[in-house]
Amino acid sequence: MFFALTEDQREFDAAVRSYLAERFDLDAVRGVVEDTAGDGNPASLWKAAGEQGWLAVLVPEEHDGLGLGLVEAQVIARALGAGVAPLPWRGTVLAAEAIRLAGSDEQQGAWLPRLAAGAAVGAFTLRGEAPGTLPAVEHGGIADVVVARSGDGLVLVEGATGTPRGSFDGTVRLADLDADAGTALPGASADVVAQLTARATVLVAADLVGIAREAITRTVAYDREREQFGVPVGSFQAIKHALADLHVNVTMAEHAALYAAHAVDAGLDGADLAVAVAKAKASDVALDATAAMIQYHGGIGYTWEHVTHFFYKRAKRLAGQFGGAEAQRERIAELTIG
Amino acid sequence: MDLTYTAAEEEFRSELRSWLRANIPEEWSRPGFWASLDDDETFRLRREWERDKALAGFAGIQWPTEYGGRGGTPGMKAIYDVEMVLARAPGTVNPLGLTFLAPTVMAIGTDAQKKEIIGPLLRNEVIWCQGFSEPGAGSDLAALSTKGVRDGDDFVVNGQKVWTTNAVHGDKIFTMVRTEPDSAKHRGISMLLIDMHQPGVEARPLKQMSGASEFGEVFFTDARVAASDCLGEIGEGWRTAMLLLSFERGASGIAQYTEFRRQYDEIVEVARKLGKDKDPVLRGKLAKVLADLECLRLHAMHVLTQVEQGRDLGFEASMTKLIWSEAFQDLWEVFDDVLGDDATLDELDGIDLRPLHLQAMWSRSVTIWGGSSQVQRNITAERVLGLPR
Repeated sequence: MFFALTEDQREFDAAVRSYLAERFDLDAVRGVVEDTAGDGNPASLWKAAGEQGWLAVLVPEEHDGLGLGLVEAQVIARALGAGVAPLPWRGTVLAAEAIRLAGSDEQQGAWLPRLAAGAAVGAFTLRGEAPGTLPAVEHGGIADVVVARSGDGLVLVEGATGTPRGSFDGTVRLADLDADAGTALPGASADVVAQLTARATVLVAADLVGIAREAITRTVAYDREREQFGVPVGSFQAIKHALADLHVNVTMAEHAALYAAHAVDAGLDGADLAVAVAKAKASDVALDATAAMIQYHGGIGYTWEHVTHFFYKRAKRLAGQFGGAEAQRERIAELTIG
Repeated sequence: MDLTYTAAEEEFRSELRSWLRANIPEEWSRPGFWASLDDDETFRLRREWERDKALAGFAGIQWPTEYGGRGGTPGMKAIYDVEMVLARAPGTVNPLGLTFLAPTVMAIGTDAQKKEIIGPLLRNEVIWCQGFSEPGAGSDLAALSTKGVRDGDDFVVNGQKVWTTNAVHGDKIFTMVRTEPDSAKHRGISMLLIDMHQPGVEARPLKQMSGASEFGEVFFTDARVAASDCLGEIGEGWRTAMLLLSFERGASGIAQYTEFRRQYDEIVEVARKLGKDKDPVLRGKLAKVLADLECLRLHAMHVLTQVEQGRDLGFEASMTKLIWSEAFQDLWEVFDDVLGDDATLDELDGIDLRPLHLQAMWSRSVTIWGGSSQVQRNITAERVLGLPR
């Protein structure tokens, strides 16, 4: 029995986290959040993502990727969530996954090495249909290639014109895309779409789990120091118990995201249930933890100057993606009640 | 990631499964069988069955062979716990002895204690009780006031213990006794191993809200115990108790999951029979509990991994207690929603609800005993998160 990250996986995690801590900290995030005219994809961070293999994680080695699995991908997603990193990482990784699973040899040869290296930005959406409008696509405005639905299949859309959509989460830029018919991914099927949905859901869950853990860690650190009534506020049981419960729930969501990634990768029986559990837990706990982060920082937590709102707003954006907690619970009910 | 067991562990599983299949009497699974027996008869049957199981080599799974154990792996212990649930085998009648006392004796007992305690315990020749809680010392265990006064080679013990599992069927009781009067709170306590079959010890059943009497009270009136029947050093009982309680870690989360998941399916079955399985609010509540149960399973795999890697989980044990006890309680709260207007009926549409109500009642106790949820939250906040005391 080994239900944990391996040494290599832990090193990967540490590498992403230390890069963000040293080279793209929350001041840098603030720069992107406040630069509303910017494209939301800071050059230095995007370059690092390409050079350090964050984008190449799932791409097969024959296409210049690392050929790793969804467990490693969720490690990265979690670290990016913890760093509230503004980066078109997930869209790029998922576009590559769609091409890997359903693309022709030519499509794979043309796109996978570029997406893996960060030479092209990818986007992935299951909302809307090509040709037509694809609503509020993450980093859609700068995507070189977008994977979108078309009937029962999937297509690659290049050069779509984007109309920016404002979002209160400044760690992303959203755009409605005016997509043409694109080029079909010949291997696309309902099964492939389900596979991609599962993978996308796991990666969103992992981002949420990373947000939640960081929110709790920062809140604990603050409440150990902040004094009222002559003592640290973290010594009050009302706060202790709430943070203890959140710690437990974040830990469970971490387990669930890790397991779901493995279950999807290994094609385990019950992978569907594992994904729904992971997303339900992650959505709930990220919303709870980031709300608690504001509450247990007191007034300072409600200011623009503080970092709390980066976490809270990112959690709000992601909690409902690919089905929020309620939708996931209905899925769980379908799978266990019928 | 490797979520499988080794070949040797799977081999153990099939041996155990065969033994259980051959040795659990068929009538035991007949509805109403256990309800038709009185407490003493139930206890006797289970005690003897468990002894036979031990003699067949299916006990002390992880204990060293020198103590009569099987010398198995943590994985085998997990498999054992799961298979016992799957086979609907009766649970142990000696839980305090098996879980707490025996490992503590192995760790710090004298050679004589190891010889005299472990073997008889494994064969259920001696049923052990735990004498910790008192009327005035619950969560605040160190407030205990049961006194032991030295008299020659003995201690003479006076006081009362409460919430004592198996009190009326117990043979011996490992008891926290204040042996140094006026000592500072956590000092001067000794863990004495007291024979319950003596005039100075009286055990009374304590009827619980469920109507059952798993617990009892134990009264000591000039009870005698040899000073040599002390586990750990005299006056160091607090240290002994902390070591003893640490063996609760690695509790069988995978087996608990197996059991709770079966109960979930039973509740779903009732909902289906009552035509409520399509109620969206109920489905949402059930699914929320199911997600927590799945997380309990994953956490158990995490714990097993850490144990196999030789890591001490330390205060993480508080989290384990919190998640299983609260998920179990939440599960049975949903049962109320299933029954709706008929929440308290014994029988509904031909379904005998009484065994289910018993589980639901029992679920109220699990967030209290073994360290209440509130205590576990304090421990988690202070010892794991590092919040100030």
